[in-house]
Amino acid sequence: MVLVSAVRDYINRMLQDISGMKVLILDSQTVSIVSVVYSQSELLQKEVFLVELVDSISKSKESMSHLKAVYFLRPTPENIQHLRRQLANTRFGEYHLFFSNMLKDTQIHILADSDENEVVQQVQEFYADFIAVDPYHFTLNIPSNHIYMLPAVVDPSGLQHFSDRVVDGIAAVFLAMKRRPVIRYQRTSDIAKRIAQETAKLMYQQESGLFDFRRTEVSPLLLIVDRRDDPVTPLLNQWTYQAMVHELIGIQDNKVDLRSIGKFPKDQEEVVLSSEQDAFFKANMYENFGDIGMNIKRMVDEFQQVGKSNQNIQTIEDMAKFIDNYPEYRKMHGNVSKHVTLVTEMSKIVEERKLMLVSETEQELACNGGQVAAFEAVTNLLNNESVSDIDRLRLVMLYALRYEKESPVQLMQLFNKLASRSPKYKPGLVQFLLKQAGVDKRTGDLYGNRDLLNIARNMARGLKGVENVYIQHQPLLFQTMESIIKGRMRDVDYPFVGNHFQQGRPQDVVIFIVGGTTYEESRSVALQNASNSGIRFILGGSVVLNSKRFLKDLEEAQRIARSSTSVV
Amino acid sequence: MATRNRTILFRKYRDALKSVRVPASSSTHLATSKSSGGGPVIELVSTSLLQNRSYAPLSTEDPGNSSKGALTVGLPPAWVDVSEEIAANVQRARSKMTELAKAHAKALMPSFGDGKEDQRMIEALTHEITDLIRKSEKKLQRLSAAGPSEDSNVRKNVQRSLATDLQNLSMELRKKQSTYLKRLRQQKEGQDGVDLEMNLNGSRSSIDDETLDDMVFTERQMAKLKKSEAFTAEREREIQQVVESVNELAQIMKDLSVLVIDQGTIVDRIDYNIQNVATTVEEGLKQLQKIHGSPNIIASMVNPSEKNIAISD
Repeated sequence: MVLVSAVRDYINRMLQDISGMKVLILDSQTVSIVSVVYSQSELLQKEVFLVELVDSISKSKESMSHLKAVYFLRPTPENIQHLRRQLANTRFGEYHLFFSNMLKDTQIHILADSDENEVVQQVQEFYADFIAVDPYHFTLNIPSNHIYMLPAVVDPSGLQHFSDRVVDGIAAVFLAMKRRPVIRYQRTSDIAKRIAQETAKLMYQQESGLFDFRRTEVSPLLLIVDRRDDPVTPLLNQWTYQAMVHELIGIQDNKVDLRSIGKFPKDQEEVVLSSEQDAFFKANMYENFGDIGMNIKRMVDEFQQVGKSNQNIQTIEDMAKFIDNYPEYRKMHGNVSKHVTLVTEMSKIVEERKLMLVSETEQELACNGGQVAAFEAVTNLLNNESVSDIDRLRLVMLYALRYEKESPVQLMQLFNKLASRSPKYKPGLVQFLLKQAGVDKRTGDLYGNRDLLNIARNMARGLKGVENVYIQHQPLLFQTMESIIKGRMRDVDYPFVGNHFQQGRPQDVVIFIVGGTTYEESRSVALQNASNSGIRFILGGSVVLNSKRFLKDLEEAQRIARSSTSVV
Repeated sequence: MATRNRTILFRKYRDALKSVRVPASSSTHLATSKSSGGGPVIELVSTSLLQNRSYAPLSTEDPGNSSKGALTVGLPPAWVDVSEEIAANVQRARSKMTELAKAHAKALMPSFGDGKEDQRMIEALTHEITDLIRKSEKKLQRLSAAGPSEDSNVRKNVQRSLATDLQNLSMELRKKQSTYLKRLRQQKEGQDGVDLEMNLNGSRSSIDDETLDDMVFTERQMAKLKKSEAFTAEREREIQQVVESVNELAQIMKDLSVLVIDQGTIVDRIDYNIQNVATTVEEGLKQLQKIHGSPNIIASMVNPSEKNIAISD
């Protein structure tokens, strides 16, 4: 609840003390921030009768002085310029300015200068600067995410922007929670170290007054890790509901756009998947595909029962009861068709791409041993005509990540086969991945074959037999969380920033993955939180990845690296 | 949750910067929005202001007329009156609803009278409330506006908001009515204890009576018969009332369902609405036109065939 309710509280406070008809003006980032936690109907209840984007509102010249303007923007130079112009050409009765993060003095100066008509009633910083997609999962939707894979010299200002946005987002999370954390980072990642240090500087030096909250016995922990320490998770196909929808269709700000996979009637082109608003989704978002099918069938049966009784209206009482229940009935109908459509479409995709076959091998590559069998399996799938290009690429990547050091000849064979079978394949992409995230670059024990404890654990799992071969995989994050719970996170792998120090276990932990999170990982976090270990985990990332997005970032980084002369 | 108020610092800067500007400017900015008769003079002053400034503003746009009147919240457009009327009706209906609840409670309490007074009160209140809802719903349609202008978006949203209020009101009324009827029925049956369609031979009588007064109505039986006739008539009337009320509310619900936002769906998303404002206004208008003329309301509601609206034609 934490993240979602924090942003909701901010929005409520913005609107509550301003009476009368209002217009809410957002930018392209804050519109996502607000849309995932607040609904249009709730805005209407607060008398917000118009919502506009700050860049398009400049185009209109209508005077609407009977409306009070509430601005909620990120404090970017572009937004300050928009505001300048709009304060010079005032259209609304009053102006209330809210910013999602800290303003620089110069920015306040510029705004004050533009407010000749003195229409601005207040200027506030309300730190809702992250997109709370789920109660314990936030993202930042950073567009040029791929930049984290490149060394700083390639695009220093670009990387600075990226880093600033991440620091702003993390700072906002802690300001919303009114806590100041102890900070640790993954040693082998330069970008993680940089972000950790800049966050520390902000919280303990530059704005130490703002972050000086009442100290609790144990400080919360902020851990910054790098996506490349676990490149396997974003490459895998998914079989639990939320993760699967994102992998096969795509979820953006809790919305699913079905237009990319076919033609649908207008009111079903886009649907919402929000655990806060959809009880069925909340109950099923982490369940696996087989169980979801059964649960949906049950829901359809229930709904049809209701439908039948609705058609059997004979007495006055029946009529009256129907009218009373009509809104509920309509809502149920909408929800049922939404889930039925999603599951139907996903089943089609699974069938077309032979994903059950592909995924079995993927899971083997990610979890179990046996290089020879793996090579054979991957080769067979590469030869299989029904397997799509993207799936071939993922298989070879997963193989390469696992067996990069064993049998280089066979690895080469796979590269060649991939290139010959997939015309659109960008040659060298797998090698680029290995350079970014190969075994020499990683800190964590990704395959559980370094640490004695992990080897034992894997053996035990293998012997027990897995519940479902398709969801064997545990993301590395799971181990990271476990080591935090047991107080066994090694300083040498995850050092503290500066002179930070923590004795004992934290009770609140925020883990930020530079490069992006996955829904498989947020599921892991949610399940961990439900197990009442005494520690509450929050997960955040620069974007929410699926294999398509991860590969796109990789390709983009490779393209830039190639064209840049400063990269070897 | 932490926040930081920058207003004080902002005002400090604003005041400081104000005093840097040419003093003559302060008088022009106090003018409220008048006709453009006073325009030219003021504009002249402000353009010279721009040139006198020691620092060049980034935008060289003419500030325009509207800025001068923006000190006070200006007069709203005419349609706001309509929306305020509707809002007032909603308030009135709410207070009537509380009265109705009291009247219901009173009618259910045992009393010496025949309860007709209470009945009248209840009827009157119910009619008033339904009337208010119906009138408001008709007024609501006047708020519809065509065209993708900002004003029409505001109108549409005000419309939706009021539609939700009205729908909630009608549902509340329905619930109150059905609870009242249920309790009433329970009571009536309890009082008389026995099925009123009685055996004319007087099944309650003792065996002696039966043999003696076979085909003759006793006084007692006559009284009971009259009472049961009256009761049946009353029941019929109640049922008639319920039917009327149900029909009326069904119509209202249907009209409103076009406008009310389905919570949790894509149309309830702020980002979706920002992109799609223009189209939804038009669609709403079309649907409203279609509904009035649909014969079988309930059947069409059961089979929603189009979008989120149930229309049989």
